[in-house]
Amino acid sequence: MNKTLSRSIIMVCACLFLTACIKDTDFDQAEDIALTPVVELDLIYFNLDASQFYDTINSNPVLTVTDTTEIKFLDDSTLQESLKRAEFYFKFTNGIPRNFQVDFQFLNEANDTTYVAGTSVSEGLPTAPVITEYIENVEGDDILRLTQANKVVVSVTIASSEENLEGILNLKSKTTYFLEY
Amino acid sequence: MRNLFTYIFSLVGLFAFSQNKQILYGFDDIPQSLMLNPGSEVTQKKHYGIPFLSQIHFNGGSSGVSAYDIFKDGNDNINDRITRQLFKMKHTDFFTATQQLELINFGWRAKNDIYFSGGIYQEFDFIIYFPKDLAVLAWEGNKDYLDYPFDFGEISTTGDFMTVYHFGLNKQISDKLTVGGRLKLYSSMFSYRSVNNTGSFVTRLGDNDSENIYEHIVQDADVSVQTSGYASLRDLDGASQVTSEILGRAFFGGNIGVGVDLGFTYDINEALTLSASALDVGAIFHSKDVESYRAHGTYTLDGINLIFPPLNEGDSTLPYYDDLEDEIEREIPIDTLHNSYTQFRPTKLNAGLSFGFGRFNSAGDCDCLNMGGGKLHKQNVGLQFYAMFRPKGAQMAGTLFYHRRITDYLSAKATYTVDSYSFSNVGLGVSTDIGKLNFYLAADNLIRYGNLAKAKSVSLQLGFNIIIDEE
Repeated sequence: MNKTLSRSIIMVCACLFLTACIKDTDFDQAEDIALTPVVELDLIYFNLDASQFYDTINSNPVLTVTDTTEIKFLDDSTLQESLKRAEFYFKFTNGIPRNFQVDFQFLNEANDTTYVAGTSVSEGLPTAPVITEYIENVEGDDILRLTQANKVVVSVTIASSEENLEGILNLKSKTTYFLEY
Repeated sequence: MRNLFTYIFSLVGLFAFSQNKQILYGFDDIPQSLMLNPGSEVTQKKHYGIPFLSQIHFNGGSSGVSAYDIFKDGNDNINDRITRQLFKMKHTDFFTATQQLELINFGWRAKNDIYFSGGIYQEFDFIIYFPKDLAVLAWEGNKDYLDYPFDFGEISTTGDFMTVYHFGLNKQISDKLTVGGRLKLYSSMFSYRSVNNTGSFVTRLGDNDSENIYEHIVQDADVSVQTSGYASLRDLDGASQVTSEILGRAFFGGNIGVGVDLGFTYDINEALTLSASALDVGAIFHSKDVESYRAHGTYTLDGINLIFPPLNEGDSTLPYYDDLEDEIEREIPIDTLHNSYTQFRPTKLNAGLSFGFGRFNSAGDCDCLNMGGGKLHKQNVGLQFYAMFRPKGAQMAGTLFYHRRITDYLSAKATYTVDSYSFSNVGLGVSTDIGKLNFYLAADNLIRYGNLAKAKSVSLQLGFNIIIDEE
């Protein structure tokens, strides 16, 4: 009886270990694994005072003010490969009684323009600012152009200016990055 | 990042349970059971492990997900499956891997009836808790998680690669009680740990007074990684140099630690036996080649504030981006430290209550295997308890077992274990003596051997010994 039992146990063990396998699985599916995070990130913000559009020393209006900032991560090779869509959201709160044209010029390392965007901003009053929202959706081939850039030049052009103009133009902005790794 | 996810989920298929050796515990026919309870009842006079073959132990586990859960054949998309598992898993779920290789193991009964045993083994032990918040952030991004604080405290992982030199004593001090102890010297070759982290990252929608649309806030972050044996490897060239440097530390060339194993076996009556052990009660003192990294602080990111400074032709613009990077580095500095640290070993507790019946008498009246003075039973049933102390608390397991001495050359033990991984873990161990050569094999989760991909844990021990019984 013992012999039978011991043989049975050895057989069972042998069967278990020899038949151990991995089945009904397909590890090639690893190729299809795709992380698709959607990242919300603040971009730039500013508060432009109406006085910045008038040169009091020379008594001249300054119709366009510009500023530039690097956005170093934009032309990072990882982002270039993984960014599928970018959605810029700009929210202007204008307390200056003038219309504005605001342009965003994306430049690469050699200062060549790779992508441009822009919008007009409605006039408001210091006591009753007006909100203008602007969404720039970038996808397809434009993504390639956008991700060549590593800096953005922001130009704010006022329709007309005078010395005693009052109010503030405020911008808040963010970008939604639709990524795929 | 995609590769990282692939590796993690692939590891699930290869690794299984922590360090529980529920089949070997109390399996007195196998000399290595002494390593699980230095106070077990030793039945042989001498034993020599076959060098490098006396115990090959491998186990690993994933408490929350199996390879099958992710990679099963099916019409649904693998990414949907990952998403489902991601939300099903908890931050207390973990992946572990342990591997041990005995280089030498020996033992003998001295004239004073003390059974001395000693040896050297190499051990690799790794655990990573599932950092659920960070996984969700990487998988889905922050868009749908405004105001949700992603917790850095979920980052908890340790890894050790070491050689252990040990020597133990075992003595039956009365008819009923056998006690034992084992001194261990640890020679750490490589170690890292990142535990007790704090802090969070949250994206909040700003209000009218906020500078920008969102506030990205890193709150009270304190995240650190301690390493020993790593800094000196960085300058080495190629895998072969790294391997030879690490192996060079095996003989006390790295950081040293000390610990003990303690255990006893108490025969309550002829049938009932109680046993318990505490293993690796000790610590490793890391002082050589230590490098730690710590990031800490609080910071709110609002984006880049343009001020449109009046510039003349040729003036360069303000370095907004560089200033922002500097500000972040100032507010959340990453320090590199070289302070010594003490790392407590993950202590393991085992306990067993066994009920024996049927006298084992393999050859007539001679009780040939019964050298320890106790009474060997033909069959034993009982309960075992196991606990191992890990960074986020104890991992515990309960086992029901049936042990049978079938012939004088063959005995077997079957186990049913409930643990963090499953409620259906059936294991089987066999020890066979061919002349003086002893071979044993123990594996759990046998139900899953038909398809290992479905196993959340697999544990395997096997080895060869030479056992010399008293003439």
